[in-house]
Amino acid sequence: MKMEKHRVSINVNGKDYSEEIEPRTLLVTFLRDIAGLTGTHIGCDTSNCGACTVIMNGRAVKSCTVLAVQANGSNVLTIEGLSKDGDKLHPIQKAFIEKKGYQCGYCTSGMILTALALLNRKRNLTEDEIREALSGNLCRCTGYDSIIDSIMLADSEMAKTEKEEEIFVEA
Amino acid sequence: MNLDEKFVKGRGQFVGDISLPNTLYLNFVRSNYARARIVKVYGGITHKDVALKVSSVGEGGEGGFGSIAHPVLASNFVAYVGQPIAAVYAEDPYTSEDLIDSVQVDYEPLKAVVDPEKAIDFEPIHPGLKSNVVVDRYFGNDFEIDADIVVEDRFVNNRIATDPIEPRGIVCNYDGKRLTVWTSTQSVFSIRGGLSEVLGIPESDIHVIQTDTGGAFGLKGGMYPEYIVASYLAMKERRPVKWIETRREHLMASRPGRGVIGKIKLFADRKGYIQGLKGDVIVDNGAYSGGSGEFSSMFVARQLAGVYKIERAYVRARAVLTDKVPQGPYRGAGRPEAMFFIERIIDRLADELNMDPLALRLKNATTENYKSPLGYQIEPSRNFIEKAGEVLEYQKYYPRGNCGFSVGILYHATSGGESARIRVKDGKVTFWLGGNAHGQRHDVWGKMLIQEELGVDQSIIEFMNGDSDALESGIGTWGSRSAMVGGSALVMAARKLKKKVEEANGEYSTTALLSGEWDEYEYFDYDKTESSLCANLVTVNISDLPKIRVEKCRAYYDAGRVLDPVYAAGQNAGGSAEGIGQVLTESLSFNDEGQPLIASIADAGVLTADLLPRFEVKFYKSESTLPSRAKGIGEAPTIGVPTALSRAIERATGLRIRETPLSMEYLMKAIKN
Repeated sequence: MKMEKHRVSINVNGKDYSEEIEPRTLLVTFLRDIAGLTGTHIGCDTSNCGACTVIMNGRAVKSCTVLAVQANGSNVLTIEGLSKDGDKLHPIQKAFIEKKGYQCGYCTSGMILTALALLNRKRNLTEDEIREALSGNLCRCTGYDSIIDSIMLADSEMAKTEKEEEIFVEA
Repeated sequence: MNLDEKFVKGRGQFVGDISLPNTLYLNFVRSNYARARIVKVYGGITHKDVALKVSSVGEGGEGGFGSIAHPVLASNFVAYVGQPIAAVYAEDPYTSEDLIDSVQVDYEPLKAVVDPEKAIDFEPIHPGLKSNVVVDRYFGNDFEIDADIVVEDRFVNNRIATDPIEPRGIVCNYDGKRLTVWTSTQSVFSIRGGLSEVLGIPESDIHVIQTDTGGAFGLKGGMYPEYIVASYLAMKERRPVKWIETRREHLMASRPGRGVIGKIKLFADRKGYIQGLKGDVIVDNGAYSGGSGEFSSMFVARQLAGVYKIERAYVRARAVLTDKVPQGPYRGAGRPEAMFFIERIIDRLADELNMDPLALRLKNATTENYKSPLGYQIEPSRNFIEKAGEVLEYQKYYPRGNCGFSVGILYHATSGGESARIRVKDGKVTFWLGGNAHGQRHDVWGKMLIQEELGVDQSIIEFMNGDSDALESGIGTWGSRSAMVGGSALVMAARKLKKKVEEANGEYSTTALLSGEWDEYEYFDYDKTESSLCANLVTVNISDLPKIRVEKCRAYYDAGRVLDPVYAAGQNAGGSAEGIGQVLTESLSFNDEGQPLIASIADAGVLTADLLPRFEVKFYKSESTLPSRAKGIGEAPTIGVPTALSRAIERATGLRIRETPLSMEYLMKAIKN
């Protein structure tokens, strides 16, 4: 089923990627196979698990159910854009290490980006607010406790560090 | 880069991330029918190309092929929806998926048998078999007894998907001499052994590399048809071949866990002493061997006395073929089922006697090692149960009427031992383990044990993923065994290394170690099955029925020496969430024609954060006699949480809980009442 190709340009983590693609190409395929950014994972194909979560134009989206053509001209932030190699880790990444917010590591990228979108929206979160916000991301290993602790720590750390320096990442 | 930094930066290398030039993308044409004769297949790679069968390796595997071995690609018959019939491939994944529709299969549908109890007397699903009952064994001795009280019930743990967030996958490449395989696995050695057996090539010609493994829970220890076709195609085309499972494929064609029925009868006197136990265990094996149905039927039966001293016991174990995907191990793999059956009937007996369930448990616990007539050694449980009652605050919570309590025994799969290797080079320490981590953080406890034995700083120790070329042999990560036998192999390797450094330098020092080059492989031989005790307390809120909210989920485990309390708590939290899922939401149901009714991970009922409580765990002070001094923990929560939660719901709603998951219809009865 060959399809007519379309040129799609997406800015990912501050870099422009432009490619002729079939219109059925998913954003997650564009990110992984064309941009080569494999930190965005595929878990369920039905937008339930959130392993493919990225930030598109400031909003968390599940890249397995967004067509790349829909993202044409968009700014996308993936996990790789949160801290480029050599750069220091984002407070959310640090908090996930500190609070041991993962076991197998597969859902982690999606969890971190969902947390980023959440913290961009609201601060001083309660545990219930975090649980609610995570309801689109599945983790089969942790029972979520350590992920929630990570986000709570990031919440308080970000409040501290932002006063001193600009570390906030916007996509 | 250490593991932590790797995963928070999105720099893990999972099997889907392996991208070799010139790769062919593989897909499968799967059966639409649970039972059918295949008249003709038009197109694709078929059984005519790959006339092989799947060997039974890994956790619960039988070894070899057996009479009900799974054909890699179906020939004349299909026996479950999702069974691979043909394979297609293309230069890119999208085109490959398109090609699935290019293959046409002519079927002649037959009547399927879905219910294992019906399958016992149904015509055999495979030609040449006399019966669908493939295991029929008795454990213990039959007895007759005139007891004051007899309670009897039938319990069911329905099938559930393992559902790691990363599905299965494999990348194969062949250079004309050796087959190299990258895969998401619990055991590179099972994969190597299985491929060697099936393809008929020596193990030395197969190199299996474990990619980062995004959860497994029992799923990724064995051999599967897709791995064999991928290997075949890579060898035939001399090009890399990649296959990544979709979630839908996972839900229909990956081996699910549970699927066990337990009929159990207790004989007791009026004081509450259990005088005898009779049982009948039926495992829904699915259509072929290769999973763990045959093994688990006997495994469940042998554990059926739980932690109790019951002098007379007689249990029948059967594994029955059905027109469903073969059953496989899932976290606990036979242990949760056995403890569900015995603990649920103990609660029933307590109600019958109008006795406190903790008191009843204590009455029947053992104060010394006791060999159950069913075969297993039961360790002294009385003291542990007493402590568990105190630590979990039984007296505070149980009287409230929304609380359940359970105890269990976790038999660790320590038998067979495990391997480890430590290499010192250029001032750095690198280690490998025979069993492959998939979220258990072998890196964390491995570094700790090496630091403890060799005195080197953890920052210069690196943990490597599984690699069949890095170690001579090994077993795998399952059955709560790794910290025990894997940890012990590592400790023994470190001690040997220390001795060598001593011999070479007169005395041991980290400077002498790190300035030299050393390489130590150790196979820690172990032939015993170890065990440890576990207890759980759960409370529920049913004010919003049919929604059930778990409020407290507490655990008390004998984990031996706890190598890392935070990650041990993480094992409890994850396993407890799965235990809650098993009772409340997780299912893998089929209609009468054998069509799966579950098509997404949401349908399958994997729980989200907003539906779960905080998890609490405390540890019983003990040490194992193994060099690592640890005991296993991974499966403890899936053993105890389902039964404690079922009791809590039972008491809160007044409905007997006999089956997981709870059905909505059944719960509606409580609302009406």
